[in-house]
Parts: sequence; structure tokens; C-alpha cells
Amino acid sequence: MKRSIGAAAGAFLLALFLFPSLAFPLLYIDINAPGGKRMPIAVADVVVGPGDPSLSRGIPKILSDDLALTDLFDLVPPTAHIETVTAAHFSGKPLSFPGWKMIGAEAVVIGKVEARGDRLSIEMRLYDATQGTLLVGKRYTGTPGQLRSIVHRFANEIVYTFTGVRGVFGTEIAFTARSGKSRGKELYIVGMDGQDLRKVTDNRSFNLFPRWSPDGQWLAYTSFRTGTPIVYLRNVSSGAEKEVVRFGGSKAPGGFSPDGEWLYAGVSQAGNSDIYRVRVVGGAVEKVVEGWGLEVSPSPSPDGRRIAFVSDRGGSPQIYVKTIGVAGEMRISNGAGYATSPSWSPAGDRIAYTVRSGGRFIVATVAPDGSDSREVASATDGDCEDPSFSPDGRSLVYTYRKRDYSALKIMSSDGRRQRTLVSGLGDVGSPAWSPGR
Amino acid sequence: MKGTISWKWVVLAISVVALMSVGCAKKQTVKSEGTQAPPAAVGEAPVKEAPPAPAAVAPAMPPAASPGVAVTEEKMSQFDDVRFDFDKSEVKEDGRKTCGVVADYLKKHSQAKMLIEGHCDERGTAEYNMALGERRATAVMTYLVSLGVPKAALSTVSFGKEKPLDPGHDEGAWAKNRRAHFVLK
Repeated sequence: MKRSIGAAAGAFLLALFLFPSLAFPLLYIDINAPGGKRMPIAVADVVVGPGDPSLSRGIPKILSDDLALTDLFDLVPPTAHIETVTAAHFSGKPLSFPGWKMIGAEAVVIGKVEARGDRLSIEMRLYDATQGTLLVGKRYTGTPGQLRSIVHRFANEIVYTFTGVRGVFGTEIAFTARSGKSRGKELYIVGMDGQDLRKVTDNRSFNLFPRWSPDGQWLAYTSFRTGTPIVYLRNVSSGAEKEVVRFGGSKAPGGFSPDGEWLYAGVSQAGNSDIYRVRVVGGAVEKVVEGWGLEVSPSPSPDGRRIAFVSDRGGSPQIYVKTIGVAGEMRISNGAGYATSPSWSPAGDRIAYTVRSGGRFIVATVAPDGSDSREVASATDGDCEDPSFSPDGRSLVYTYRKRDYSALKIMSSDGRRQRTLVSGLGDVGSPAWSPGR
Repeated sequence: MKGTISWKWVVLAISVVALMSVGCAKKQTVKSEGTQAPPAAVGEAPVKEAPPAPAAVAPAMPPAASPGVAVTEEKMSQFDDVRFDFDKSEVKEDGRKTCGVVADYLKKHSQAKMLIEGHCDERGTAEYNMALGERRATAVMTYLVSLGVPKAALSTVSFGKEKPLDPGHDEGAWAKNRRAHFVLK
């Protein structure tokens, strides 16, 4: 055992020596420089072995759509491509890199797919067109139903190669929507690319406040399906459920500790909501914040040491930060108006929240010490609310509402780029972005 | 109040017993829980990665664990709603009058049980409104108790902003929606 570990370590060191790029991602794109250089990339038609010929453009389309969701790439249009990729390019034949350079591509993606019965095999490669070197190559196997998820994974590899930060393709957003003419609300999940929309609950009651566990396997949420609110944990794959918070009156989960062992929730007792945490296994309950005001919406920091939460102890709802187990809480919103729904960024450096400004609700972000507050999403004709960070911290999902119209939108966390994720589902709310995949 | 506290002790007691019974499994997290079938893997090579992505790319969602109780249209009440100001839970003058009528009824009908629903208008965050609705319902309950209604005859539930009486988006609709609603059980 010891010997094989030693051998493995030796091989790893040798690999580092021979291929230093293995140690650190190549930082071609500085993601901290908004409006900085974008990587011109060509995604060639995929070679289809046995299988559906439409995959030849279908796979590059999924990949290109992913890359276009970021602000990082310029896609060289397929009509400009001048080399046809063949199976030979996967067994030693070099691509004509000068040709790809000539049409403006600095990076080239090629792929090969084979579908045999219920078995899908996909090989994808990313080349540096200037150096003519393979940057990353992956071979995936799965079922035809996993095609999109496989392509998302390679898109994440590409983003990682160029930025050093994993992409968020294949992650999902849980949210609530009023179902048709029913007065109830159901939970839904949608891919961050707007695909794969599906209904999670179907009981025509109120199903509210979905929150992901850190491993992305569970959703905590409040359901009224028995007539009184109870917080459940639901396994997203199997649908298995267990009760996790039963005591008290109104209740809403806020978020999990990073180790997944605690669920933080606002729970009312005798009309007064305080913040508790409940052990997911065993059910032990601890009060974390108490006071005469309404304390709700706990959002744990990524290191698990602090929470941001809402309290109206000062007369109106405001955002506060508390270190777990230490007396004292600090207000970080400015004390005016109405500030709610804090969401801590994955890097821990910002807290997004909703604030009422000039009669409208807008999304703002602030440093955890209350400094450097910035407005990031607002609309002159409607309200922007309920922000939740993507796992890479580069985007926020939030609700946009204008009278009877409501939608989920995604924007870059500096507010520069926005797109509609879900609309036409009626009254949508409480979006929560899943952890990375 | 008393009921709530004793319930909480029951929960705590159960939790303690449950904790003791799983003492040796304390380190377990949500990850290892549940009845989830092992996900089919997406194979990937040559670089070995941490566990492959879960297979469930678009699983057919199994039905909820229990069939559930459908929420019906709001039950008509013989009592007026108690209305509130924006982001407030004080029972105002006209609300106190309504509470007086409700208190008289409950004192005459000693078997009657009253559910007080707390509601909010659509503005603001759902979680905060859920807690605010609970505070409104509790404020009405407390006032009824001060009028001599036995606490045992009363219960509360908050629907936050989820069940507006008027679906409009103006102050007229909002004023109707910020309410405590009486439902005889």
C-alpha cells in the first residue's frame, strides 16, 4: 500500500516536471477584468461513428450555447470553418492549426461520438491553435439521456482551462411557481441554461423556500400539504422525504452549514420568529438568534462561521451578520427602508440582498462588514428580488416582477449582463442555485 | 404560549433520545442519508475525477411521499377580517371591534374552535411575510385572550403573501390582503 502511494506520488511529480501545466490551470482569461479579452474559440462539427448524424451539429450547439452564456468567449461561426474533422484526427493526424488561426480561432474544440444501443461514448478535445497543443481531452461514457450533462461537463473543463475557475454548466435552479389556476405553489427545478424544466412537488398545496444541501442531493423546503407548515428534506433524485422541522408555527429554511450537518431556519413561536439550527441527522435544535423582532432568512457564510439574516428589531427589516456562538450582531444594510433575503457569495466576500428603493425593490450587494454597497439589478417598471449566487460567484439568479408578469432572470454579479431564465410559469419566486457539479 | 413551549420540550426530548440512539453515527451527514438508488455513472477518461456526475439527468419525478391536502379557495367567514397597516401587526380600532364580535361568539359557543389565519400583501420577501403573517395572527389571538376567550379555543397559521384575497397590485388590493382571517373549525 505504502509503496504504491509512493510510486503514485513519484509518477505525479514526474508528470509535473514533464507537464508543468498540470499543476496550475493556464490563465488565458482574467475573469476579474470585466470587458477584458475574450477567447476566440471554434467548436468543430463532431465526428459521428455509429449514431444519429444530427449529433454532428447538435453537440457543438449545446457546447457553444454554454460558452455563449459566459462573457469569456467569441465563437467562430461554423460557416467559417475550413477543415473537416475526421476520425483520423483522434488517432494521430494533426489538425491544420494555421488554418484555424487564419479564421481567427485561438482555441479549437473537436469531438467524436459513438452511440451503440443504450451506450453513448463521447471524446472531446480542446486545442491551443497557436501552440498546436492539446490543452484538455476527455473520454466520456454514459446513456443517450446523459448527453447534455456530458457536454456541460466538458464546457466546464474548457472554462476551467482558461480561467482557473470551474464553470457552472449543468447546475440547476430550484424555485417556486403558482401552478396553473391552482392557488397552491409547487417546487420546480430548471437547468441554468433554461433547459430540463421539471416539477418537483405536485400536491396543490403551498411548497415554498427551496434550499439545496451542499452536496446538491437534497432540497429543504416548507410544505403546507398536511395543513400546517413543516420543513422537509427531499432527495432530488429519488423523491424520498423526511421531516426536519416540525416545532413552532411559520417556518422557512434558510440554508445548510457547509458540512451539511445543520439546517438553519427561521421559526415562529408565539408569533415571534427566531433563528434556529437543526441537526439534519438526529434533529437536535439550537437557537442561534433571538430577539423581540422577527428574525428570518438565515444565510450561512461559506466557511460556516457566520450567518447573515433579516431582523426588524430596529423598526423595519434589515440585514444583520452574526458570528455563530458569539454574542453580538452587526447591521450591514443602511437601516433605511426595507432590506431582506440575504444570500452569501461562495467566495464569502459579498452578500446579495433585496432592498426597497424609491418604491421599488432592487437587488444590491454589500461586503459582509457593511461597506461598499452596490446596486446590481433594478427595473424602472418592476421589482427585482430574491437573489441567489451561482456556485462560481460570477452570476446571480433573481425574480423580476411587474404586475401579473413574473420571471426568473440571471445576471453577471456585477449586473452587466442579464437574461431571462424562466417566464410564462405564472408567479415564480424563491430561486436557489444548486452547488457546483 | 404554554402549549407551544411544552410542544417544544417534547421535540427537544425526542431529539435528545434520537441523538442518543444514533450517537455512534454522529458524523453522518445528509449525504449518507436516505433511500436513494446508486446513480448510474457517466464514464470519463483518461483523467480520473471525483465521483462521476449523478445519472439523474431528467428523472421522472416520483410522486410526493404523501398525497397531500389540496388548498381550497378561501373559506367564507361570518366574521370580518382584521386589517393591518403595511409591515405592521398592531390590531387597530376597527379590528378591535371585529375581535369583540368574535370574542362574544366564542364565549357563547364554548365548543367552538377558531383558526386565525395571518396574511400579508405581495410586497417584500416571502419568508419575511410568512413570519409577519404569524405575528399578525398571534396579535389577534392575544387580543381575543385579553377579552376572555380561552386560549385552547384558538389556533393560528400564517400563509404569508401566498393567499391574496384580491389579486390586484395596488393599495386597494394590498389593504384587503393585509389581514387576519377567521375560520371556524
